[in-house]
Amino acid sequence: MDLALTESQEMLRASARTFVEREAPTHTLVALQKQESSLVPDLWRKAVDAGWPGILVPPAYGGSESTLTDAAVLFEELGRGPVPGPFFSSGVLGALTILEAGSEAQRKAILPAVARGEAVLAVAIMDPSTSWGPQAVTLRPQRVGDRYRLDGIKLFVSDATAATHLIVAARTGDGPADVSLLLVDARAPGVRARRLPGFLSWQDEVRFDGVEVPASALLGGRDNQGWAALERALGRALPVLCSYMVGGCQAVYEMSVKHSQQRVQFGVPIGRFQRVQDHVIRLVNHLDAARWTTAEALWKLDTERTATDAVHLAKAVTSESYMEACNAAHEVHAGQGSLMEYGLVAHTQMSRTLFAHLGDPRWHKRRMADALAW
Amino acid sequence: MDFEVTYTEAQQTFRREVRAWLEANVPPGITRTPADDADSLKRYQELRAFGRKLGAKGWLYPRAPKTYAGGGLDVDSTIILEEEVDRFGLSLPPYYDSGGRLGSATIQVWGTEEQKQAFLPPIYRGDVRTWQLLTEPGAGSDLAGVTCAAIRDGDEYVLNGQKIFVGSDHGADRIWMIACTSPGGARHENLSWFMIDANLPGITVQPMELLGTGGEGGTDPVQKNTVFFDSVRVPAFTLVGGENNGWKAASTHLELEHGAGGRIGRHRVWDRLLRYCQETKRDGMPLTQHADTRDLLADIYIKTEVQRLFGLRNFWLTYAKRPRSYEGPQLSYYRKMTGLWMTGAILEAVGPAALTTDATWGSPEGFLELQQRNGIIAVHPGGTADVQRVSMSRRIGIGRVAREAAGTVH
Repeated sequence: MDLALTESQEMLRASARTFVEREAPTHTLVALQKQESSLVPDLWRKAVDAGWPGILVPPAYGGSESTLTDAAVLFEELGRGPVPGPFFSSGVLGALTILEAGSEAQRKAILPAVARGEAVLAVAIMDPSTSWGPQAVTLRPQRVGDRYRLDGIKLFVSDATAATHLIVAARTGDGPADVSLLLVDARAPGVRARRLPGFLSWQDEVRFDGVEVPASALLGGRDNQGWAALERALGRALPVLCSYMVGGCQAVYEMSVKHSQQRVQFGVPIGRFQRVQDHVIRLVNHLDAARWTTAEALWKLDTERTATDAVHLAKAVTSESYMEACNAAHEVHAGQGSLMEYGLVAHTQMSRTLFAHLGDPRWHKRRMADALAW
Repeated sequence: MDFEVTYTEAQQTFRREVRAWLEANVPPGITRTPADDADSLKRYQELRAFGRKLGAKGWLYPRAPKTYAGGGLDVDSTIILEEEVDRFGLSLPPYYDSGGRLGSATIQVWGTEEQKQAFLPPIYRGDVRTWQLLTEPGAGSDLAGVTCAAIRDGDEYVLNGQKIFVGSDHGADRIWMIACTSPGGARHENLSWFMIDANLPGITVQPMELLGTGGEGGTDPVQKNTVFFDSVRVPAFTLVGGENNGWKAASTHLELEHGAGGRIGRHRVWDRLLRYCQETKRDGMPLTQHADTRDLLADIYIKTEVQRLFGLRNFWLTYAKRPRSYEGPQLSYYRKMTGLWMTGAILEAVGPAALTTDATWGSPEGFLELQQRNGIIAVHPGGTADVQRVSMSRRIGIGRVAREAAGTVH
């Protein structure tokens, strides 16, 4: 047993932290919040130079194929920002979905460009007015000769406004899991992505109006294999997303400790008040619960152990933890925390956005119970 | 990262040796609920005899130094022993020995060589069972406020006062206690620790009737007592760590009591709860198939997993000699509040069957009823949940101007 990071992981952490502090300081992140696209060209180019979009892509497709724990070290640092951008949507969930669902030709066609940051993937799963899960995929393409025609809407798609390609979950049969995945050019006529306004971090509506895609866009070339492939991809991708949230928890924890040491009321630092301490302790307990459930899930995956229950558990715990950590941080900061320029709000908004992203905590808890075969 | 303890071939051989030895030496029926007082005493004596057998092999306190009759074993072998003993529903030591566990750790750090030689071997061999005595009627969370007096008189100290919420059933051989050696002296500079004979003239033990005993990790003490000291004379040699230096020495004791050592075992209530819910039918279906119960069980399981991971992390921090800060009291706080929360979750999941010890309508051996009691009571022994939070805050560096360091445990 050794719960420490390896030396090379410590180096990756240090360089990622320096990068984030230099390229995405708080005032930059705050300014980015209003952007339509999560992709910031200058920042993205430098991340590409560091090889980050290809961190999980196998060398055969132009990536560096690190372990999930390596990727998680990077994503924890990005989460400390929280740095926006299609890092997860494209480099993790998108790439892993192509690897799981795509044919060899499809992998070769898209993954090298994903690893070079030239192609950007976004995964479009949810439909309007449905819940989460395969049964909730209702967008039904029309088969017109050797083409599919798409008419409809995908909702709460992360980073669609930044994407060059969309992986679209579509209903192709009447069984609950009869879902197929189509790789759609995001700039094709009839595709329109729009960032949803309000308290959401870069989740978008994507409209398809008579969008025609060739049969070759069907990932894997066979109908109804999509959900199983997506689940395999999610089973590896989710703990990396969890690490992003762990980074968020860590950042709001550090903010809160510093604030309670520096903010003086009634003549003393407010950290001297046990009510304030209670908030910080609630926060650090959530942080550590998120950190260690995530780390164990990653370790199980990297060592090829059965990890399904651990992955669902980590996503449930981490989603709740990030939200609760932000709530506690707002209690510590009071008015100051609500100033957009301070930076806490970016986390709060991200914590809400990721709470239900790719399945809410209750959904994951139920899948965890199923996986444990109670 | 590696969350698994991996074993060499030699260690696997050790495991087989331990398992075979335990199968031959664990007294049959040792985890039974005693039928009556006589059976309870009989079971205690069996446990002590088993403890001495373990002690003779160095397996009662496997990590303790061999020089003082401990096992002198490494972490991995200790884990193997704990896991194998756990298979029999027992812990190390297999009986309540709070003063042995925490007193011996403090003596290792703060005792003189003569004291180590005198006090440690009987503990590690299993010859003595030791209670720790800290709390007093007027000094609970405020441990520094203890008034039980130990006044120097020649080569002896004379003890007068009262300790409360201490010990277990069936008495003790030794007492590990903190007392005030300088009444009226400056706070934090008037305390000392003693390792004394528990059966001296002037010591009276009076059982208390309580909601539950809480458990302080490991073995459930079953009973708590008030202990009175009436002009009890003890040799000056029994004072450990220097006169009036007790507050400093307390940091080691409290650090361990507050969870710094960590734990790597399974959650006992969870395993039994799941089995109970799989085997108990409501409306013709096992409880585990009811959607609402399943949701509650998922919430309970997640908290036990987080608690397990905190324990595993603390275990690693301690034995890999990593820097620690708030993690000890965090585990303690989390365990306490989870236990209390779990009383409600279990009551909702299982219903009033969780509240009865009835052989027909309650849970097996009333294990759920015990959790309903202990979940409430365990919030307070060994430093209340609120004290753990105070401790965490200081370590984090917000409770006081200067950040407080974790106590020395190795």
